[in-house]
Amino acid sequence: MNVPGRSFDQSCEPSLTTPNRGFPGEFRLGFVMLAPILAVTILAAVFPPDGKERAHWVQFIGRFHPFVVHFPIALFLLVPILEIAGRSIRFTYLRLSVPFVLSLATVGASIASILGWSLARSGGYSGTLMIQHMWGGVVLSIVCCACWMLRPRLQVSVAYATVLVLGVGLVAWTGYRGGQLSLGPNHLTEFMPNGLRALLGVEDSHNVGSADPNTFYGARIQPIFSARCINCHGADKHKGNLRLDSYRALMRGGKDGPVIQTGNIQESDLLRRIKLPSNHDDFMPKGKQPLAADEVKTIELWIAAGASDTLAVNAINNAPSGSAVPAEVKFEKIDPLVVARLRSAIGPVVSQLQNQFPGILDYDSRNSAELRLNASILGIKFGDRDLETFAPVAEHIIVADFSRTSITDHSAAAIAAMKQLRVLRLIDTRLTDATLLQFETLNQLESLNAYGTAITPAVLPTIARLPKLSRFYAGQTGILPGKSVPESLVGKLVF
Amino acid sequence: MSNSNACSRTLTALGIKSESHTEVELAFLQARTRRHFLRSVGGGLGTLFLGTLASKLVPSAKAAGAETAALDFSRDARTPLSPLPPQFPAKARRVIYLHMAGAPSQLELFEYKPELKRFDGQDCPASFLAGKRFAFISGVPKLLGSQYPFHQTGQSGQWISDRLPHIEKCVDDICFIKSMRTDQFNHAPAQLLVQTGNPRLGYASFGSWVVYGLGTENHNLPGFIVLLSGGKTPDGGKQLWSSGFLPSVYQGVQCRSHGEPVPYLDNPADVSRSLRRSMLDTIDEINDQTYAAFGNPETVTRIAQYELAFRMQMDATDAMDIRKETDSVHAQYGSKPGEASFANNCLVARRLAERGVRFIQLYHWGWDSHGADAKEALNLGFNDRCREVDQPTAALLSDLKSRGLLEDTLVVWGGEFGRTPMRENRGGQQMKYVGRDHNPGAFTIWLAGGGVRPGMSHGETDDMGYEIVKDPVEIRDLHATMLYLLGFDHRKLNYRFQGLEQKLTSVKPARVVPDILA
Repeated sequence: MNVPGRSFDQSCEPSLTTPNRGFPGEFRLGFVMLAPILAVTILAAVFPPDGKERAHWVQFIGRFHPFVVHFPIALFLLVPILEIAGRSIRFTYLRLSVPFVLSLATVGASIASILGWSLARSGGYSGTLMIQHMWGGVVLSIVCCACWMLRPRLQVSVAYATVLVLGVGLVAWTGYRGGQLSLGPNHLTEFMPNGLRALLGVEDSHNVGSADPNTFYGARIQPIFSARCINCHGADKHKGNLRLDSYRALMRGGKDGPVIQTGNIQESDLLRRIKLPSNHDDFMPKGKQPLAADEVKTIELWIAAGASDTLAVNAINNAPSGSAVPAEVKFEKIDPLVVARLRSAIGPVVSQLQNQFPGILDYDSRNSAELRLNASILGIKFGDRDLETFAPVAEHIIVADFSRTSITDHSAAAIAAMKQLRVLRLIDTRLTDATLLQFETLNQLESLNAYGTAITPAVLPTIARLPKLSRFYAGQTGILPGKSVPESLVGKLVF
Repeated sequence: MSNSNACSRTLTALGIKSESHTEVELAFLQARTRRHFLRSVGGGLGTLFLGTLASKLVPSAKAAGAETAALDFSRDARTPLSPLPPQFPAKARRVIYLHMAGAPSQLELFEYKPELKRFDGQDCPASFLAGKRFAFISGVPKLLGSQYPFHQTGQSGQWISDRLPHIEKCVDDICFIKSMRTDQFNHAPAQLLVQTGNPRLGYASFGSWVVYGLGTENHNLPGFIVLLSGGKTPDGGKQLWSSGFLPSVYQGVQCRSHGEPVPYLDNPADVSRSLRRSMLDTIDEINDQTYAAFGNPETVTRIAQYELAFRMQMDATDAMDIRKETDSVHAQYGSKPGEASFANNCLVARRLAERGVRFIQLYHWGWDSHGADAKEALNLGFNDRCREVDQPTAALLSDLKSRGLLEDTLVVWGGEFGRTPMRENRGGQQMKYVGRDHNPGAFTIWLAGGGVRPGMSHGETDDMGYEIVKDPVEIRDLHATMLYLLGFDHRKLNYRFQGLEQKLTSVKPARVVPDILA
């Protein structure tokens, strides 16, 4: 607070200030400044952005919004700094420039608001984020102007200080919304270190999927949209009134109606646009690299097959394999909170088993709650009794190796209960046909290894019914190479 | 330093003439007032607070009950080799690395270059020599076509020479990288680069990194075992399996494939196992006291090594004893119990892989085919090397395949650099035997199993097999790709040492090669 009567002020002030302009004059100028603000308020209220693209020149000037917007922000934030620093005797003169800075900030804010509205109106923006950002900007222009008008010369009134503080808060909030619009809704937390993330309780949105990954849509189609489209056609920004972040929104379509006609690849607008040459006006994703040929093909086949969200993931035979070589390998992220939640049910049992049998049971990776059991390390010391203790986690085991252990056919039911098994190794065990005949439940099994056991061709019909099996190791068993096998096992036996 | 400068300045200002350094300091401390203390204490307290805040951020993952979720390699000091899950689901669970020390000629084995054959015997063009450094070539050497005929083979139709008739049968399981590149043209640094990611001494080897990252499931055997054949230790020496800056418990353990696997592993006569046990208990007790007093992690390593050796007395001898294999297996590998051979080592490698050893490293020495004498001539000694490795390598691949182990075992075969398409002319003279000089610019290695795409070739060299024209793969790219198969982002498998987060791939950016992933 400036104390009147200090000799410093009185001696300096006359030489630094312009001739007294008087209160009413500033007020008048303030009202002049209100005109463009009023204009943008009316524009925003009467012609709200509606997701349609129009008028190229409006969009041209609108694109300058991000460029211009930082000037009034910096100027406005300078005001509290000048006011606070000006409280020190050495910097009193700083406060003399506040009205000038505020007037520049007000002009800048109204220009930025107009440009912002132009961009939103003509660039096809809509959505909650955009609405909040737009009104935040408009209110901020008004706040700027109000500060200017409320500020008494060289004094700080309560009303002025309150509005100024509110304005600073509004700058942060509106700026954050703007950042979300251009960089994505989680742009501040996306690369947050895991430690900090856990401390603040922020979840990694990358790990939260909605569509069922066992459907073709969930496994193959939604990932393409998520990677390439939802920045502009998502929950927070829906250009052309189209959202591609869920199956329902996709089928609802955009401002020109549905973008997908089930079973009709000619009439599906989405497909037409992604197949256009990238310099065409209607091309999508606009301004970005075109979708890969395999991605386009996958979408085309899915539409042709009825564009259903319940279609099984492997229902389309000639779909390009998902493993089309990417240009770069992406590394999975680990979110400790998500992993902790996944493991919460089995964690204590797993720890206890790990203490009881060191080294043979562990999670498949640091990111999963699936387990690998490698009993072969213990060799003949591992028997039927030991296997029984793993019953509580049986359905979480995806890889099990019982090679050279002393388990017998008594363990058949215990193995058959591991319904998620993908790889099972029984090399050189005493297991016989009796055990393998019980494996009908293992419908996730991809690799079965019975090398060196006494099994016979009698197991082949049962094994042949395992839907995902791709490798059956039958060397050194009663099954001999070159004999006829059930059709579904052709090419899968390894000797 | 600046503190004492400041204090002597202060003293001069105060008019005190100092006699000695300690007196100066004493006087300085006496000159400090309560105001000095209060002025500095504010910043100090603030820094302390920031320190506690920062330390909170890292272990907070533990507080959330997911201690294994963050990339944390800490273990109980007593069990430094205990297994840890990989960062993400891994295709390969273990590695068998067959290092052909001396660098085999890719032009006699895998690189079919009919154009080079056409120019055989002609002077090497000047453009090949400009700005290049060679180990021995001087003047203008002659181009040298492949010494052996090539043909296409397997369903994948890959080209291979007639020197490897057994490996040829496995070609559909093999992924060739024909565009490997290194920046070292001498054996020792080039081998160090391949095995430790750095051409200088003192870095952790590939096997050490893998055991550090994943531990080992079988605690009765070392997690990283090294087997040598070919009569000589590779030029890079034992540094090739050293743990460098990693705790020494992660270093490779060199084993012999005949007799005692590790010298003096057996108890001496009249020393029973129980006597040995009580002796170790006493030593452990003393070591424990030392560790409690000084806290040096190497003491714990020493305890762990004693205990491992004790357990190995039972298991290592069994794992290395190839006499337990049937005659048909010996016929397949060409192994003979009691010999020191690459064939025996390949069979041991399979036995170790079955027992959960994480990283099995074989070196076979003698591929340095300069042509300076008969042993290293492309037309003589080279043939012997091919014969020594061909059948055992193929037997290892097909044995692993039929036992289902190739699914999650990554097999690597290759040298440390390639060989020139020019005939070596040591001292500018035509030499009696045919040979080639070192070529760091292009060479071939191959991978099989463990999540590698089988039956393919990646990368190409020019018509002379001299320089890479398509998809070059640096050593660090190979390392990054192998670590990826083992379930790691190569940047995350790191260890803080000398102020740097040290990585196998070192400081230059490395790239996982997506084309060779199955």
